[in-house]
Amino acid sequence: MNNFESLIQGFVSALTFTNLAFGLLGTFLGTLVGVLPGIGPALAIALLLPITYTVSPSSALIMFAAIYYGAMYGGSTTSILLNTPGESGSVITALEGNKMARRGQAGAALATAAIGSFIAGTIATTILAFTAPSIADLAIKVGAADYVALMLVAFTTVSSLLGSSQIRGFISLTIGLVLGLVGADLQSGLSRLTFGNQAAVEGIETVPVIVSIFALGEALYIAARFKELGWNIIPMKGRALMSRQDWKRSWKPWIRGTFLGFPLGVIPAGGSEVPTFLSYSVEKKLSKHPEEFGKGAIEGVAGPEAANNANAAGALVPLLALGLPTSATAAVILVAFQTYQIQPGPTLFLTNGALIWTLIASLFIGNTLLLILNLPLVRVWVQLLKVPRPYLFAGIVTFAMLGAYALNASTFDVQVAIAIGILGFLFRRFGMPITPLILGLILGPNLELQFRRALQISGGDYSTLWATPLSKALYFVLILALFTPVVTRVLRKVRQRTH
Amino acid sequence: MKLPAGAKSELIFASSLFALGLIVFVDTVREKLPAFNLTVSPKLFPYLISSILMTLSVLLAIQIVRGNQAIPEGVEEGEPIEKSDFKTFSIVLASLFAFLLLIERAGFIIAASITFFGITVAFDNKRHLRAAVFGTLFIVIIYLSFTRFLNVPLPAGIFKGIL
Repeated sequence: MNNFESLIQGFVSALTFTNLAFGLLGTFLGTLVGVLPGIGPALAIALLLPITYTVSPSSALIMFAAIYYGAMYGGSTTSILLNTPGESGSVITALEGNKMARRGQAGAALATAAIGSFIAGTIATTILAFTAPSIADLAIKVGAADYVALMLVAFTTVSSLLGSSQIRGFISLTIGLVLGLVGADLQSGLSRLTFGNQAAVEGIETVPVIVSIFALGEALYIAARFKELGWNIIPMKGRALMSRQDWKRSWKPWIRGTFLGFPLGVIPAGGSEVPTFLSYSVEKKLSKHPEEFGKGAIEGVAGPEAANNANAAGALVPLLALGLPTSATAAVILVAFQTYQIQPGPTLFLTNGALIWTLIASLFIGNTLLLILNLPLVRVWVQLLKVPRPYLFAGIVTFAMLGAYALNASTFDVQVAIAIGILGFLFRRFGMPITPLILGLILGPNLELQFRRALQISGGDYSTLWATPLSKALYFVLILALFTPVVTRVLRKVRQRTH
Repeated sequence: MKLPAGAKSELIFASSLFALGLIVFVDTVREKLPAFNLTVSPKLFPYLISSILMTLSVLLAIQIVRGNQAIPEGVEEGEPIEKSDFKTFSIVLASLFAFLLLIERAGFIIAASITFFGITVAFDNKRHLRAAVFGTLFIVIIYLSFTRFLNVPLPAGIFKGIL
């Protein structure tokens, strides 16, 4: 069966009445949570995971795809109307879209974001559908040692490119690795960092960690450090529609954004920050009205929003084909798969082919449902921004605790959640990035597994780790990612001195 | 030597990171290896990770002393206050512990309602009665939709047999 036929099969199994109902519910809930200020897609998905625990895998997947797109869309609405980006990929949308809203063009900004996301999502999912299987075919030949190199590259790029301080990025990663160590070692049974606690032998669950570090950490941080908060909601006049002129100015940025965002999602380039900033500067260079940028130019919303969405779909390529998440959102998706007993990786298309094609079909359906449902409903979502802050935080925190407990019906997970919440507070207080920690926690055990596998094959000869051409190339990239920030800093200092 | 302003609390943070690394190291030393031989010792990664963490926290401490301090994460909607408000912080933390202590003893509805109410108090809500009533209603709806529609079991506690 070729890819196209498989995709059609995927649509057939995705398009049942029950699945569509779950898709609609997912779109609704995803937008509902994503629109809440300060909640990015990663947290929105993690918060909503408990809902999918007992649903059948194919319904869960379609619901999940809908939640994913809904959360992304909800996030851009909040960025435009409230100027509170929930994740780094929405920073540009907040910058330019909020200016548009202030000029009375909120409707056009929301529409170009939604339609741009839809187009980018559709193109990117199509590319995903036709490239991921071939990448997975290639990836089957990727050996354990190459995986070790790949993961080390992902660690380095995410820790050293995100945030302002390399050391803080790597510390965050290392703490994630420590959390990943907890529990009985699978190979030897050695219990590590359990301190005699029976519940800890199973290891630390990822879902409570992700939810707590975002939600509880944020609640504690705002409680301790901020007072007299007030929001400036920009009232939306008219409907979320675009004029002919808006369409003319938007369509090229959508396309360019898509083709910038997708490839940068496939390689571990540190998430959606880089492509959205790149798209913004490209649009500014190519625009006939560069003076409007920074004051509310529609191209500055259309391009980055498309780039953000295509980037998210691009991140699914390494996730599905290699089992390698490259952003916080992708990491949460990996965890979600694992709760349905699906292990992403090169063999996924062989062992669980039908389910994966259902997922890809679900991505198309979720994306379409979103466009149909959300543009007309945008006023409903705007009302949500008026939820009083105390209630908002109370709801998020209670839901986070519910999620932590419901996973295994165990109070140990709740204890972990509270501890991680305090850690999240400290991370915010001391300017440490969060994404490296999540990657470390999820990929750490995997890294150790592949490392051992590589050395078992070579009989303990460590040179096997850099024996293949691929691993050599990857270590070269790693060194580049590690030293580029240092070199540029030194160069800047030298230049300052000579001036 | 005079420290840059505000560096003290961050230095405490850096030293607790060092302590965490040390704990991992000591725990690894104390565990007994299994009798059979393994190509890669299960102690290798803990040793590596703890050494990296300790090295990095020393480097961080050096950076702090040299004046390269953390930039606390900004929140768009408000101005940060200079000194942490530990009273509000404790109310939030106490609400979290209330959930932990009550979830299996009193059930989800009571535990979650108290947490919900506690957070609204921390975030400066003035109308306490309204928050309590609304919060409890919200929690009951959540409880019923999870246990009835989604089949996710939550402890009924003292409402066993009633709800």
